[in-house]
Amino acid sequence: MVEISDNPDDDVRKTSSEALRNESEASENARREEGRENDIEESQFDPNKMRKTKPGVKRLLLSLSVLLSFLFGLPFLLKSVEIYRSPLPFQDIDLLSREIESEPILFPCRFQAVFINSDAKTHSSDHAQKLGFSISDHMRELVGDHIRVCGTCGSNFTVSVTMQSKASCITNQNFDTACFWQCGSVKDSDFDVDLKNDELVDEFLASVLVGGEKCSYSTGKVYSVVVLNTDGEIKAVVGKHRHGWILGKISEANAVKTIAEVFVKVFINGGKEEGSIHGEFMPVGADGRVVLSFNLLNADPRDWIYDWDFHSVDETLLAPVIEALEPIADISVESQILYHTPKSFFSYWDDKRGSYIFNTKDLPFFVNSNEWHLDTSVAAGGRSKILHIVIYIPSAKECPLLLQLPNGEISMTNGFISPMWGGVIVWNSSNCPRTSGSKHPIRHTIPFEDLKKVIEVFLGQLRQLFGLQSNGVYVGASDRVNLLASERGFTEWELDVLSRQHTCFNLLSCVTTLGSLSRLIQSLPRMIIMDEIGKQVKFSLQAANFAQNNASVGIYQSSAVSSRQSRALAEDAFYHSSIMSISYYSFEHWFAVYSPFFLPVSLHVILAAIKEWRRYKRERSKYMAWKAIEKVKS
Amino acid sequence: MGFRRSILNLLLLCYFVYAAATVAVEEEAEEFHEELLLKPLPDRKVLAHFHFESKANLSPSNGGRHFRLFPKSIYQLVHKFHIREMELSFTQGRWNYEYWGGFDPISRNNARPPGVELWAIFDVPPSQVDALWKNLTHTLSGLFCASINFLESSTSYSAPEWGFRRSSDSLRYGTLPREAVCTENLTPWLKLLPCRDKAGLSELMDRPSIYRGFYHSQRLHLRSSEFSPMDLDSGIRLEQTLTIVLQPGSQRVGMSYNDEAITQPSWSMSSLFGRKVNGRCVLAKSSNVYLQLERGLVSELKNLWKENDGSRSDDVTNENFLTNSVFELSVSSDRLIREVVSLDNEESSVLYLFWIEKNADAKPFDLALIWKRPVIWSSSQAPLHANRFLMGSGNERGSIAVSLKPAEHVESYLATGLSDNECKLRVDVFQVVPWYVKVYYHTLQIFVDGQIQPIYNVIEKMRVSPSEDKVSPGVLELVLKFPCDMKSAALTLEFDKGFLHISEYPPDANQGFDIPSAVITFPDFQPNFHFDEDSNQSPMLSRLKEISPALAYTEVLLVPLTTPDFSMPYNVITITCTVFALYFGSLLNVLRRRIGEEERLLEDRAAKKVGPLRLLFLKLSTKLRGRPLERVHSPPSSSSSAATKLVFKVVLVAAIASAWQYYYK
Repeated sequence: MVEISDNPDDDVRKTSSEALRNESEASENARREEGRENDIEESQFDPNKMRKTKPGVKRLLLSLSVLLSFLFGLPFLLKSVEIYRSPLPFQDIDLLSREIESEPILFPCRFQAVFINSDAKTHSSDHAQKLGFSISDHMRELVGDHIRVCGTCGSNFTVSVTMQSKASCITNQNFDTACFWQCGSVKDSDFDVDLKNDELVDEFLASVLVGGEKCSYSTGKVYSVVVLNTDGEIKAVVGKHRHGWILGKISEANAVKTIAEVFVKVFINGGKEEGSIHGEFMPVGADGRVVLSFNLLNADPRDWIYDWDFHSVDETLLAPVIEALEPIADISVESQILYHTPKSFFSYWDDKRGSYIFNTKDLPFFVNSNEWHLDTSVAAGGRSKILHIVIYIPSAKECPLLLQLPNGEISMTNGFISPMWGGVIVWNSSNCPRTSGSKHPIRHTIPFEDLKKVIEVFLGQLRQLFGLQSNGVYVGASDRVNLLASERGFTEWELDVLSRQHTCFNLLSCVTTLGSLSRLIQSLPRMIIMDEIGKQVKFSLQAANFAQNNASVGIYQSSAVSSRQSRALAEDAFYHSSIMSISYYSFEHWFAVYSPFFLPVSLHVILAAIKEWRRYKRERSKYMAWKAIEKVKS
Repeated sequence: MGFRRSILNLLLLCYFVYAAATVAVEEEAEEFHEELLLKPLPDRKVLAHFHFESKANLSPSNGGRHFRLFPKSIYQLVHKFHIREMELSFTQGRWNYEYWGGFDPISRNNARPPGVELWAIFDVPPSQVDALWKNLTHTLSGLFCASINFLESSTSYSAPEWGFRRSSDSLRYGTLPREAVCTENLTPWLKLLPCRDKAGLSELMDRPSIYRGFYHSQRLHLRSSEFSPMDLDSGIRLEQTLTIVLQPGSQRVGMSYNDEAITQPSWSMSSLFGRKVNGRCVLAKSSNVYLQLERGLVSELKNLWKENDGSRSDDVTNENFLTNSVFELSVSSDRLIREVVSLDNEESSVLYLFWIEKNADAKPFDLALIWKRPVIWSSSQAPLHANRFLMGSGNERGSIAVSLKPAEHVESYLATGLSDNECKLRVDVFQVVPWYVKVYYHTLQIFVDGQIQPIYNVIEKMRVSPSEDKVSPGVLELVLKFPCDMKSAALTLEFDKGFLHISEYPPDANQGFDIPSAVITFPDFQPNFHFDEDSNQSPMLSRLKEISPALAYTEVLLVPLTTPDFSMPYNVITITCTVFALYFGSLLNVLRRRIGEEERLLEDRAAKKVGPLRLLFLKLSTKLRGRPLERVHSPPSSSSSAATKLVFKVVLVAAIASAWQYYYK
């Protein structure tokens, strides 16, 4: 016990205690000190401020060592209660999201304009180049502010011009020539085909421009417009493949304008108007799958029962469409027939038209979710998109049922869509109002011709759901452009547009999903992250990078496919079932288990260490003060 | 020659192709049937049994997946999970084997254990069966709004080999005894019917009426041959039945006897269900209502008629007995179907058939049965009455006992079945026990007529798969042979009650844990109805004709397990940690304590502790006395000051407490 002779700590109330203090009151301690150190002058030594022995460090060391051992033990404790978190590439995610958000993916596009039978006098490579530049200028003008719209070409395009006449053929191609118009491949006599018949011209040009297909794997596709200088009316048509043509006596300047418009508005933008359904409403499930669920609703089977031969519809009409859309979505088809499915509002009888009428304002109430058991599909996976296509057969007391448009006209298609949900088509049976008075319902089968029409309407709806127009005409600033419709529902250039938009949208959504996942994981440090999530994130990033690379080269289809993969994987990681495991081992639980021991003990230890340290400092300063006096004296 | 033969072959081939095509066209039609069977029960109740059947042929001409009537979701289910056969039942209440019949096809097919029972046979190699079962349970729980997904865990289902429906190794069986059954399960079930409850017999399903009943069992049976290409009529058959036992209301339809206790209550469809049938479901191929009078009732009726009128003794079932002296039907039946019995001394049950199409044409169909005289009869009994109960007390161990008692008339069955003296009665027992009830299978004891019997005397075949903790339940399959003349038999098995991990207890663990019903099968007895005419038209009658063994489900047992106090782990943690912390803290304090210094301090403080008021008083007194200030050293005074302080503190605390009380009331 070194500090047994220490002075009392108490230095408060010194003044008040002075009054009370008398000689006899002095402690034994003071007396002992007096006896021991009688050679030092009383006036200089103040026991409250000085001490003569060195303060001991035993207790200080003890409490400090306990504190330190606690501090050193803490990492081990934390390590032992640590939860498993698979390392995620947070930096890569950030990098990718910054990349995609800062500069949208722009695809390279290549265009060519072919002038046939143009003025032979102006044929020179300079002139061709000049034409090319002027087309590019017009295109830039048309693109205007939308240069950074994702899924377009922006200003990342090249235009080449070929001029062919009887005498010469000049091009200003700057790339491999295999992809472009082959000079001399077409002779004038080849244009014997009936120029009035668009389909024939389309097929003919497709056979001539086959080179564009051949080289599509290397550097992307070439869109072309052929200007055929003939007599007659000016007519611009865009075919089913990646080309259009302009017929008639057209001046070069006008031709250039029209060409630029076709390139930008049709081939790049897909003939869409601004404000139509945006790319974010792409009706494709997060796993890249779409289930088309066809429902035939017999509103009241007591009147009539309609049946359909859906199998043949599926095989003949739907299969080509599904095949065409393969790069964008994995589509499956299912069908069912439901009965006793009335709509949930009243239509009114219109004498003039001799039919029942419903308005566009009734549409929100048309889908009767109480009675229409359109059911989600067991076959579809968790995040597939289900598009319901409802063919509604009204009962006898509301037949025929027609849709009145806001402008008072009767709708041609008698159907409507609901974005992200699907479409409804009202099909009126031919023998309504019902004439036969028999009590028993008659079974019919919808004629195949009618079904074909219904499917056409559906295709229009599907195109609308995908954001494409289907009126067959694009009216631009300078000209009307006829658009040929494909029997597959989607033309090649439309599929290209969809692929581009889809890639863009998928990558964006993949990046947002991964970004939220990384934010979520970083904000919840007690969350268990399985290896599987880490793997999915890794593969998703890989697929996204692959899609980006493909997009920059211009391979639309494979970039669409890999972007779909990346999105699906990102969603899988985000919705992984193990991500919920946070709720079973929360921080509160951890706190509740460890705090009853560590809170009181750490309080003791820290307080002890602080007290000892302060005391040691004070005593030391007392000792130093005495030392100073000693020094002065000596 | 060869040429001619080849032509002949070609012609033959053409013919066959044509024939096959026509057959396909004929068979392509999907079928839907709706039927309702009503049956008065001896205990003044009425059984209503709805039977809906959809059939689809998977011919390639419709692509095998586009259906007109067959529910899409069921086809997808079958296709996705490769189901060969499946049955799902939702039941509330317990089938009363004594009064409602234990030995007829209806009870065999439709009496199910309370809660959910699911079994399925898959058409895949045995290694994939478990994965498919797990996915199937999840899909079904989504389809039927029930917690069938609890059957996913391997502790809740079992793979019986021969005890439950002799079948291959791809059968899985699971029950959830505590599942509550209500409308949310019925609505998705109705959605599978083409007319739902909008038209046809299902119109009768008024929810409050059908859930008011004593027994309610909603069943879905699937049989598919999609995956067996050898089968010619590959198709799926979906059978949906709803069996309810209702108590007819007390209102009188016609005249009746005064003594209510013995008279059968008269009833009509509208009094039972509160609704009438407005018409058939137009999509149904057949839409029939049957009224069944069982054997016991028919023989009783005959006796009554004999008493009444000797001349009409034999023509019980002739056409004019709509207006007989015992009961009256409001609607004349369209046909009378009689059961064909093999034995002369047995009565045959009678079915009245009503075609909805004909009867509901003009006005809603409302069948009423009016009793004119009291009739008492008993229903057919299972050969043995099976009961199961728990024995023992306390939370540590107990035993399960299954008691089997022959029904009164079992001798007649047995006597007829086997004439020689080695008469044996075969009983199959299938029992699943959850793992936390640890059954000691070696303690199996069998008592016959109260005498303990050596096991090898009685047991023919036995399969035990002991439970594995938290992995699989225990399964017991037994084939027992009892002498025919026994008066009673009992099986006992002892068990220990296990402990569950704290996180494994279900909510409300104090309620107890269920041991699922045991299935008792009597393979020697195969109740079925033979009807006198071709009844292939009606799927329900063909179901009644099917030959399969009689079976009975025993009661569900409720085992109370020791349940911990669920806040216990935290309490334990808190108290141990507090003790440790106290120890640690005091140890640390002792280590750094300076006793001498503290004593000095205490002394100083005691010396200095003089209140200012007292000081003033002292000064004043010295002034008055004219003497110098004395050192105050009086322990009593200091203690008195301490006492005042204490009093002050107590008062303060009391004031705070009363203020608290005052303001927070």
